[in-house]
Amino acid sequence: MKLSRFPLSAKLFCTLFLMGIGCGSLAAFAQASTAVGLSPAAVRESLSPEMPMTAMGHGQMSAEKEIDLAQIPESAKVWMRTPLLIQTSHTHLFGQTLIAGLLALIFAFNSLREGAKCAIGALPFVGTWLDIGGMWATRFASPSLSVLVIAGGTLFALGYALIAGFSIYDLWFRKELSA
Amino acid sequence: MNARLARLLALALAAAAPVRAHITPPVVLASDRDAVARLLAGSSRYFVREVRLSPTQRESVRQKTGWTPDEDLYRFYVGRTADAVTVGATIFISEFTMHGPVRVAVALAPDGRVKGVSVVEVTEETYGWVKPLLDGGFLQRFAGRDAGGALSQTVDSGGSMSRFYAGVIARLVGRAAALYDVTRSTQ
Repeated sequence: MKLSRFPLSAKLFCTLFLMGIGCGSLAAFAQASTAVGLSPAAVRESLSPEMPMTAMGHGQMSAEKEIDLAQIPESAKVWMRTPLLIQTSHTHLFGQTLIAGLLALIFAFNSLREGAKCAIGALPFVGTWLDIGGMWATRFASPSLSVLVIAGGTLFALGYALIAGFSIYDLWFRKELSA
Repeated sequence: MNARLARLLALALAAAAPVRAHITPPVVLASDRDAVARLLAGSSRYFVREVRLSPTQRESVRQKTGWTPDEDLYRFYVGRTADAVTVGATIFISEFTMHGPVRVAVALAPDGRVKGVSVVEVTEETYGWVKPLLDGGFLQRFAGRDAGGALSQTVDSGGSMSRFYAGVIARLVGRAAALYDVTRSTQ
């Protein structure tokens, strides 16, 4: 069974699903850019443990220093503490994996070669793992691993774009050769 | 073929239900700087004071509030006049509910009593439940309270979710007051 041979209703529902996920991805992109930022530095700032503003050393119980009011952040940024990281991880792992699974389900009926389908269809899954895994790695292993979060989001978007593009082509534009 | 497709679609829709549990985006009601400036009005100099709690201090907070502090350090923004008289100290403190985080700024007077409270961040979903509390002047009830007095604050009006979030805010104010109280000797 190929996408191009789907009945009209199935073609319509697959297309609407792909469009909906595309709109959702754009909204998620906009939210990530406004709430956290889209650079490894912004992700690092949001996820890595809070650093003291004072020069408090290990073993020191308190420290104080004078600051200018301007040193307190004007733009409120979401600082992702561990409980929020747990919440975000479980909802995104369920949500994104389900989206990746539904994309892969549609893509499984594409007419590309099996190798290409496996490679492209796996991108949203790998992107999700890199994205969420990168958040934990940034928080607990090394702030420099924040690049994984950006790479994961990019892979997910790339996978979606390829799957949607090839699928829409097969659904509506591929001409089947008669046997 | 159609029956097979229908089964696949039904399975996919059933599996997608948990996606609705997603936490809604943050709603920032005030920046940290704005909250500090407003709650410590009258200050002309600002200081940041960071404290690590000793095991005794953590236990003391637990006894006062039922909550055990888990952060490595707690940060107070301290406001003073030009004559070095302390106006108060503000701390930002959060609770993570199943509908997303609630973050409040709590200002404490030098005697440990609450000077003012500001909700600085909620989520789109929780904002609808927290807004009636803000509009109804719930935050003003905390002025002059200590940790125990803050914890006892409730609301009788509003829906059950507003009452739930009134409890969340009261717990956060109580924790802030207790944290200030146990570290006051170093303030």
